[in-house]
Amino acid sequence: MERRQVLSKSAPYLFLIVPLIIYLIWVVGPMFYSFYLSMTKWDGLSAPVFIGLRNYQKLFKDPVFFVSLKNNLKWVVSFITIPVAAGLGLAMALNRTIPGEKFFKASFYAPMVLSFVVIGLIWSWMYNPAHGLLNQLLRMLRLDSLAIGWLSEKNVVMWAIIVVATWRQVGYVMVLYLAGLQGVDPGLLDASKVDGCSGWQTFRHVIFPLLAPVTVIVVVISIIDSLRAFDLVSVMTRGGPYNSSSVLANFMYIEAFNNYKMGYGAAISVIQFLISVVFIFIYLWRVLQTEMEY
Amino acid sequence: MLKEEGKVKKVLPILMAIVIVLGTVAACTPQTVTVEVPVERTVEVEVEVPVEKTVEVPVEVEVPVEKEIVIYNSYMSDPEPREADAGQVAMFEEKYPNIDVVHSTIAHEDFKQAIRAYLTASTPPDVMTWFAGNRARFFIDKGLIMDVSDVWESEGWNESYPAGFRAMSSVDGKQYFVPASWYWWAVYYRKDIFDQYELEPPETWEEFLQVCETLKENGVTPITIGTKYRWTAAAWFDYLNMRINGPEFHIDLMLGKEKYDDPRVEKIFTDYWAPLIEDGYFIDEPAAYTWQEALQFLIDGDAAMYLMGDFLRDSYPDEEESKLDFFRFPIIDPSVPIGEDAPTDGYFIAASAQHTDAAKELLGFLGSVEAQQYFADQLGRLPTNMEVDTSGFTPMQQQGLELIQGADFVAQFYDRDTTPEMADEGMNGFMEFWDNPDTIGDILARLETVRQEVFESE
Repeated sequence: MERRQVLSKSAPYLFLIVPLIIYLIWVVGPMFYSFYLSMTKWDGLSAPVFIGLRNYQKLFKDPVFFVSLKNNLKWVVSFITIPVAAGLGLAMALNRTIPGEKFFKASFYAPMVLSFVVIGLIWSWMYNPAHGLLNQLLRMLRLDSLAIGWLSEKNVVMWAIIVVATWRQVGYVMVLYLAGLQGVDPGLLDASKVDGCSGWQTFRHVIFPLLAPVTVIVVVISIIDSLRAFDLVSVMTRGGPYNSSSVLANFMYIEAFNNYKMGYGAAISVIQFLISVVFIFIYLWRVLQTEMEY
Repeated sequence: MLKEEGKVKKVLPILMAIVIVLGTVAACTPQTVTVEVPVERTVEVEVEVPVEKTVEVPVEVEVPVEKEIVIYNSYMSDPEPREADAGQVAMFEEKYPNIDVVHSTIAHEDFKQAIRAYLTASTPPDVMTWFAGNRARFFIDKGLIMDVSDVWESEGWNESYPAGFRAMSSVDGKQYFVPASWYWWAVYYRKDIFDQYELEPPETWEEFLQVCETLKENGVTPITIGTKYRWTAAAWFDYLNMRINGPEFHIDLMLGKEKYDDPRVEKIFTDYWAPLIEDGYFIDEPAAYTWQEALQFLIDGDAAMYLMGDFLRDSYPDEEESKLDFFRFPIIDPSVPIGEDAPTDGYFIAASAQHTDAAKELLGFLGSVEAQQYFADQLGRLPTNMEVDTSGFTPMQQQGLELIQGADFVAQFYDRDTTPEMADEGMNGFMEFWDNPDTIGDILARLETVRQEVFESE
């Protein structure tokens, strides 16, 4: 091969080497170190002691682990239904030229711009039983029995946090769907109108199937985000009251950095990783598939 | 896309107006609630380079003058303590011109994680700030802290420090820690509300229950508490345990030498704590509030008492502070020694410190009358050295000092006296009990299992 040809063939790899090395050192390397750590007992001070799979045995007997898994599951189910439906609905509503469309799009997206700490803090104020906005509103509407401690009742707290996360996510999903809707050929929409389809029929049989790639990505990202959830829980309740709002990431943080059980924390994070990896592979497979279509 | 400009011009300003109105309404409705926001602080490192001087004179040869250095790491990152800390270092350097202090200030929360790295480094910082109690014991037991009994002896602290503080700094008769500043815990109350209902600060448990009942009958919630972060509930456990079973039993429980399912522990919950909750003497939904948010009830006069540390005055509006006073947590069993919670900050030297002599000089200075006088005057914290002149202190400081000096034993607070893991489980247990007092038997059994795992596996 000519030198130029060699260079142009190897160019992609040459460009990738630097980021790849950085990635290997700072992401992949520590990942394998975590796998090793999950099989040790380590308090962060003395040397790690290898104990095999004992951390995992302990984990599967720990009630907090199962509460965390259940809470993550609640989060997943909420994330793949509500923001997807609401985001799609909003995208459909805002895809036409109505007055103030830019304002609406911006305000629905705005929560994504705010940091989790700020959102968590302000919503905690709103949830404040005595002085918060929500309970004051309920009392104004004579619904006093509903004015409970949103973040202190163990059966309600997880859902109260999920509401906040969902509220934030809706704008993000809406933007993704708006982008997807731009790719829908208006010719097809005209054709369906000519054929006499109602609005709902057009949506169900033309638009929604065309949005399938976006829907897959949205669902996978929602699942991954809900498995990663940490900030809101940490800021609003720190997993309380007594672990009722614990999620895997928060549980791992407390065990590793508060209780100095680094090995145990690593085991939790490995489990979190294994669950996420299933969905990450689905996502990658899907992305690669669509790439190869070209 | 064609826009009908006429319509846009009409609708948009109306929308804006609605948003602004709603926003203003939303902003005005909730009362101001102060919450601590975790703030990232930048680490400032001050490094001083030791100066080496050699003076050569043709006839006489002079010995080169080398300055000793001591590395001092501090977690006093809040603006006021930080200034006082720097002031102390400056005073030290003036007094000992041949010692240079390499002074680093690390963000308070980060320091708690970083200290583990410091202590195990090959060139550790020599002197460090830290908390007394189990937090220090954790490192002492691992041999990471230097024995400074000689400094205690040479500085005469065995006489000038109260017995309680000396006990808390010792392990097996040797001193490892130098306590420097502290604050007291007590039941803070609204003097004016008490006066209104002709109530006196209660000294015994019966009197306390009477006060609560009177307040409740008059529509005032007797006690406020914010248990969102759990440790405020642990305060009640500490005090009830120390009053009922004595401080020695309490500390043994903290150290894992007593059992959580001991009937003496259960008595605290069933005979004293549960009745308070069930009689409605606490506010509703305490777990929904941070301790500062619960303070609002005291400020508004909706509640009359709060078991809290002196730092609550930092969050109390200045103009209202004159209505505040405090009393010692009521005595339940007069035959039991009096134990109080007085979380203490202090200093220690790393076992593998490189500059031992200079470090001991610095430690000696930090515990001295001079340094503590300065610190107390600057910050209003209480000093541990009894020789410090307290005549310039505020009446409240004097009162707090008397409270603690009159105690037979000084504890550090639940989550500083026991290991972090036990504290975490214990505090969760208190929260669960608060939610459902009948389940205390199961909760204590579970805490006992945790205690065995945590302490007996060491």
